[in-house]
Amino acid sequence: MTVAAEPHPWRVPPRWVLLVAVLSIVCAEIGGASMARFKVELTRWARDAMLARPAVHGLVGVRDVDERILDEALVKFDAGLRLFHMHAEGMGLVIIATTMVAATVARAGVARRVIIALLTTGGAGYPVGYLVWSALIPAYGLERAKTIAEWLVWIPFGSATIVALWWLTGLLALRMIGR
Amino acid sequence: MILSGPVRRPPLAVVLVAISMLALGETAGAVMSRLKPEIQRYAAARVTANAGAHGFSGSAEYDDEVRDRAIFAAEAGLSFFHVHAEGVGLVLFFASTLAAATVPWRRVRATLYLLLTLGGLYGAAVLEVGRDVGIELAERWILTPLGIAAIAGLVGLLLVTARRRA
Repeated sequence: MTVAAEPHPWRVPPRWVLLVAVLSIVCAEIGGASMARFKVELTRWARDAMLARPAVHGLVGVRDVDERILDEALVKFDAGLRLFHMHAEGMGLVIIATTMVAATVARAGVARRVIIALLTTGGAGYPVGYLVWSALIPAYGLERAKTIAEWLVWIPFGSATIVALWWLTGLLALRMIGR
Repeated sequence: MILSGPVRRPPLAVVLVAISMLALGETAGAVMSRLKPEIQRYAAARVTANAGAHGFSGSAEYDDEVRDRAIFAAEAGLSFFHVHAEGVGLVLFFASTLAAATVPWRRVRATLYLLLTLGGLYGAAVLEVGRDVGIELAERWILTPLGIAAIAGLVGLLLVTARRRA
């Protein structure tokens, strides 16, 4: 079926944007599969790394106390991997949808390019924060790993996405009012 | 059947609802993460201010448990909102694009847009979480009708697409 001469067609975002979005989804799929396939190995690695740094995790040498601390850290380690899987899949789709809207609605070239760049980098970068968090937990402990991931990834990339989304919402509203 | 050439977009109002839901979902996620202690403090203060509504007994142990449950429910509500607003925003975007591209009848298309957009507002309605009576009210008057609108819109789209293929 050909939809010819449509009055209001979608405009496709630049190819690199679609590539980044699909790459994000692919990484999420691989992350999910790896989590399931290498669960034991990942848990063992994290546990060994934590046992190698007892001071960082507040391990006291009493089995009952230490096991509770290790369990909590391992739950967070696993949660970080799961959240990466979910967010990378979701944000891949968000990038495709929102950049398509920006490419279609934003008339000014500079605004369009900036919004698309913010949506793409923010959307693809934000989920990586969960991977960073998980990877850093064994070496730096729960709170320090979270703080590093927050300032290094979540805040800059998350802010980029939020700013771009509200900017796009404003543009859409203006387009509707201006019609 | 292969779709080729330009793909038609839904009306700007529908796109605006979808993008607004995504923006609200993202913002709620950030707020949840960055302002967790402040949200907990605010919820605790509101619960204490409305002690009667929450059935406080005067026993510190019991009241603390009730307060903790209410705070947990408030946090869960924000978390549901984050997830649902993101998901429903995307569903509205892709389903309405599909409707714009494949449904040739104007009135049917308009009905589908309306149902899908109402369903899109489901994400915002999920924020209305309270315990017991609050949950019942939200379910009966907001979540159920908007959820049904989304389902009806998607089923309608499915039927129209199937009919077009036949």
